Amino acid sequence: MSKGNNKSVMKIENLRAKIGDKEILKGLNLELEPGKVHAIMGPNGAGKSTLSKALVGHYDVEITGGDITYKGKSIKEMEPEERALEGIFLSFQHPVEIPGVNNAYFLRTALNAKRKHEGKEELNAAEFLRLMRDHLEMLGMKSDMISRSLNEGFSGGEKKRNEILQMLILEPEVIILDEIDSGLDIDALRAVSEGINKMKDGKRTFLVITHYSRILDYIEPDYIHVLKDGKVIKTAGPELVAQLEEHGYDAIEEE
Amino acid sequence: MNLNTLKNQTAEELASTLGVTERVGLVEKFASLGLPHKKTEEYHYFDVDKILNVDYKTLGYVPKTIEIGEKIVITDGVVTSAPQGMRVYYEPCEMIDMEHFDALYYLGHILSGHTIKIEIDGDAEVEIEHHYTQSDTLIHYRIVLYNQANRHATVYENFVADDIKNTLVLYGYDVHIAQDSTLRVVKLQSMQDSKYAMVASHKVNVAKNANAILKSFDLGGDQALQVLKVELSEHAHVDAGHLLYLNKDSKRGTISQIVHRGEHSTSKQEAKNILDGEARGIFDALIRVEHSAKFTKAEQNAKSILLHDKAYMVSKPQLEIYIDELEASHGATTGQLDEKQLFYLQSRGISYVEARKMLVIAFANTLIEEVKDTRQQERIKTAFEKVFYKNHKD
Repeated sequence: MSKGNNKSVMKIENLRAKIGDKEILKGLNLELEPGKVHAIMGPNGAGKSTLSKALVGHYDVEITGGDITYKGKSIKEMEPEERALEGIFLSFQHPVEIPGVNNAYFLRTALNAKRKHEGKEELNAAEFLRLMRDHLEMLGMKSDMISRSLNEGFSGGEKKRNEILQMLILEPEVIILDEIDSGLDIDALRAVSEGINKMKDGKRTFLVITHYSRILDYIEPDYIHVLKDGKVIKTAGPELVAQLEEHGYDAIEEE
Repeated sequence: MNLNTLKNQTAEELASTLGVTERVGLVEKFASLGLPHKKTEEYHYFDVDKILNVDYKTLGYVPKTIEIGEKIVITDGVVTSAPQGMRVYYEPCEMIDMEHFDALYYLGHILSGHTIKIEIDGDAEVEIEHHYTQSDTLIHYRIVLYNQANRHATVYENFVADDIKNTLVLYGYDVHIAQDSTLRVVKLQSMQDSKYAMVASHKVNVAKNANAILKSFDLGGDQALQVLKVELSEHAHVDAGHLLYLNKDSKRGTISQIVHRGEHSTSKQEAKNILDGEARGIFDALIRVEHSAKFTKAEQNAKSILLHDKAYMVSKPQLEIYIDELEASHGATTGQLDEKQLFYLQSRGISYVEARKMLVIAFANTLIEEVKDTRQQERIKTAFEKVFYKNHKD
């Protein structure tokens, strides 16, 4: 899905954004269909990470034009935490380390903020740990990781698994995965993909941002969008991946 | 009584004004140092004139019957409660440091003829609660604390005030940590309202092979200074940690001197300061290594976070070294909360206020976690959260 479908869960219209003085997104249009996996591919510097940051309200990005609507409502002016509570989740390319903030405490605080937002009862520590246990096992995470400081001293793979753990716990509706496969060995990639696929229930929407097609062997996309120079220049089905592998991004002409 | 009237007086004049006939040496020391004022180096960043130039009521200091309770309670400078069997009594202070750098250390001793002497038995844990009930009053008292050799005792110090205002508290400890022993003192002061100002002027003697572990958690409002002098004998060690969380227009902090006298003595001093509003934090800390203190190890560090652009931190870690055979380091940094970390927490649905609180506690955590007792850790964290939320609406 790319244009003109009013069933989209998220619609990005003519989005222009800059970081510092540099305009990165130059009139980007994209619609995300509920329950589908959208992959954004593009060369370095195309604006992929800027797009992900713009969607979650990152302080680096200044939106200078256009709009982002989520479930029919503009989120352009919403605070990052409001967007998260509404169900938008970004798995960071480089998750930050926060010494002194216990991983389990952080996750429980985040989960309870969401439950409170949804009018549900907050979970106590014991209930929360029960919830965590299965996810940890599935992701191949050691149980001591939840008692450590958030991402502190974690390897690249552990950080990405921790991102997926957060996704599983928070159960967002739109999941943006920014270079989720970078720095992962094959076992970590498999575990992370398994976590992602577990969330594919036909209702949640994925926006997979990637340089390489490797991750798409594990998470089958429904749509491929090619991002170049701040715009989506082509949208097609998964067959586009093979074409990109063979001919590269330069061969893609703007539609 | 207006303490400002003691300014620029000779020892004889002071003795006459204060009605002192004995302990003339103390009066001479006080006269030579002079009543602190804005230009006194140690008090330069503290609004000392404002608290000294006030007409205060004074109290009679009549010892009261000490009731049996779970902790030592000192109400307006008089012991009102103590655990059964605890050796707490009044007597003149015999061991006063005649080389202390703080004039108010001497003034406290001069004003407080009898000190509260506490002897800690064995590996006891003792809680001392300071309770203030009087407005517009100068409350002054001194405490002498002894522990036993080869034992490991802990003192938890807390502060409670009734609905008072415009009071000044001058108090302090003379602590004698016995050979081969450890004394841990954990001080928590979390009063937010401007109920009283305080200057707490201490002296800690650490005997051979003994350890002093001094942790202060200052979450208070108004004005307060902790003035600390520590002397280390041979193979003695001090581990001093100071957490300061200030907001509004409070001015608080630590002025300290750690003096290495004995060989192989070691010191570690760490300050973490979190300043909000228009608060001013003070960490003016000197480590002095004397000729006699060969093979000393000294480490000093101050880290500060400013949460508001009008907050101000005075960090002055200093080393004064008279020998070559030692290891010493010191440093100070001041910054703000990391916006990447803040954003990360917010991106998971955690509010801006909560995210800031989590990061501020994370910053403070290394000091809080050094308090071994988890109940006390929780107590400090709870006090911190209470103060934080009072000043930040979600």
